[in-house]
Amino acid sequence: MTRKNVFWATLLIFCMVLVLATGCGQPANAPEGEGEGEGPSAGAEVVKVGMVGPLTGGAATYGTSVRNGVQIAIDEANENEDIPGVVLELNAEDTEGDWSKAANAFSKLIEQNKVNVIIGGVLSSETEAGGPIAMGGQIPAISPSSTATGLTLGNPYLFRNCLSDEVQASQLAEYAVTELGFEKFAILYTNNDYGVALKNAFEETAKELAEVVAVEAFMDNDENFKPQLTSIQTKGPEAIFIAGYYTEAAKIAQQALEQDLEVQFLGADGFYSPVLMEIGGEAVEGAIFTAGFHSGDESAVVQNFVNKYRELFNEEPDMFAAQAYDAARIVIAAMKSKGTSAEQIREGLAETKDFPGITGNTSIDEEGDTLKDVLILKVEEGIFNRIR
Amino acid sequence: MFFQQLINGIVLGSTYALIALGYTMVYGIVELINFAHGEIYMCGAFVGMYLVTVFKVPFVLAFLVAMIMAGLLGVTVEFIAYRPLRRSSRLAALISAIGASIFLQNLALLVMGPRPYSFPSPFTPKVYKTSLVIISKVELIILAVSFLLMLGLTFLIQKTKIGKAMRATAQDKDAASLMGININRVITTTFAVGSALGAAAGVMVGIYFRSVAPMMGLMPGLKGFVAAVLGGIGSIPGAMLGGLLLGVAEVMGAAYISSQYRDAVAFTILIVVLFFKPAGLIGRFLQEKV
Repeated sequence: MTRKNVFWATLLIFCMVLVLATGCGQPANAPEGEGEGEGPSAGAEVVKVGMVGPLTGGAATYGTSVRNGVQIAIDEANENEDIPGVVLELNAEDTEGDWSKAANAFSKLIEQNKVNVIIGGVLSSETEAGGPIAMGGQIPAISPSSTATGLTLGNPYLFRNCLSDEVQASQLAEYAVTELGFEKFAILYTNNDYGVALKNAFEETAKELAEVVAVEAFMDNDENFKPQLTSIQTKGPEAIFIAGYYTEAAKIAQQALEQDLEVQFLGADGFYSPVLMEIGGEAVEGAIFTAGFHSGDESAVVQNFVNKYRELFNEEPDMFAAQAYDAARIVIAAMKSKGTSAEQIREGLAETKDFPGITGNTSIDEEGDTLKDVLILKVEEGIFNRIR
Repeated sequence: MFFQQLINGIVLGSTYALIALGYTMVYGIVELINFAHGEIYMCGAFVGMYLVTVFKVPFVLAFLVAMIMAGLLGVTVEFIAYRPLRRSSRLAALISAIGASIFLQNLALLVMGPRPYSFPSPFTPKVYKTSLVIISKVELIILAVSFLLMLGLTFLIQKTKIGKAMRATAQDKDAASLMGININRVITTTFAVGSALGAAAGVMVGIYFRSVAPMMGLMPGLKGFVAAVLGGIGSIPGAMLGGLLLGVAEVMGAAYISSQYRDAVAFTILIVVLFFKPAGLIGRFLQEKV
């Protein structure tokens, strides 16, 4: 009996260790590959760059993309010795998509790892939790993807490199009415910060210019949208604005097709992923959405990034990876122009103007928010084409 | 619109019912809530997807192999995580079940990565229209297969020798073992059959929604558990009824009350039912064995 218990306890501990090791192992191995850069630049100053985001859990796909994007930017800077005498080291922390873990991650990076700058959080809730901690520790943070309204207000240490939800959704609504000529809209939104902000902005603009006939909600990771679509179908809209991410959007389009609901699908930057077409197939053909990045862009900087990403990670970069790459490059540019201390990086970030990123020319305004163009993309024959 | 929503609910509910059967069978025999069941559902879906997309196996074969593999996985989980704890407190086994669930989930995340995988439908998309409802071919297949599997299960339990042994074990484990029933074999079979049904649901949901993902088992696992409790945990017809009811309730809640409170409506129904019938709709309270 007791021997059995001992055996069991050992097995349990072994399993726990395994889960822990694998859970944390992923972020840890990222810097290791790089940190060994002792050979050429021995004696160089090591500057730590923190990264906070979901590397495991339901939102892991976004966090992993961000880490990969940052990794490429840092590798490039180290290879080209962009900042003389300095080797950058990436310290990635997992949040599992949980805001309280994000707060811990910010504290850990600032107090234990002694990073000079943090790229993150990824989800808006993570950045909301981590922003005040960054300000308290006087370490600048730049989020590559947190689009919540007013996120950076009143926090001189917090910046972001992505379009706010409002700007995207209201510009899209305007475009759909004036350019595409739609008059009856339905909205299907995911019930989180992102979806609600998009819904509110789209609804406001669309109501001014045309009519919104139905508004329905769904939850993250929902798979079945038939009840909402059946309700929407009875109202007869011409276009449905899906305020959510690509997995759900693809399934919504698919299920709409299955019940003979033929409408134009509209969306925001959450659509931007090849997975949209992989799952959605025929059903997402013709969908129109706003984005901050277009990997089909033929400029050399974009193609350089896309090729490197494919080579290293064996998949197509998404918007999160591109914005993270730009965010990291903006940080590196700030270090180059001002210096590598936290305060110098903060000054450099605040002064960013017309930075030629792969997600468009980027400036940072006095509130730490981003100013850049909104692209409008359309799914045509299974690829994204830019239509504006 | 009402009939359309009813169909939507029944299709969703039949997948919940298949998942609920796995919970209820295991509970009936070993009085354990197998929280890893949602993950077995997910693993089944992944096996099916892999066989179809990578190995180009015909769908029907892939479906059967996924059920067998998931059955083996269920038995393995039982052997590693539950069997050593069979004589310890029930709480220990429950925690072990949660541990197994988290372990499998994270394992899938590590091996497969976090992104969803496309599961191409093996059927040509076709929609049947009547004046009242629109139903797709996939939906009809899901309904038919679920119904057949439930029929098969009922046959297995009511008419076969192993089914009789299962019923005897559920009633009184010690007495059954005194009658010469090999309890371990019964438990293994229960886990295998329950897990295979979960995998069947996983594969069908996979083709229905055209995707599989490591976290896909989380909510359906929970809903299947709720369906089992709603019908009366331990009761097989209860799980089927509970699953269908939960599916319809969820869809009707979303359609007529608010899509924002879809899950809230479903869970409120659960609470109300349990308030009036604490043992679930068809469940019975058995005297606690001493």
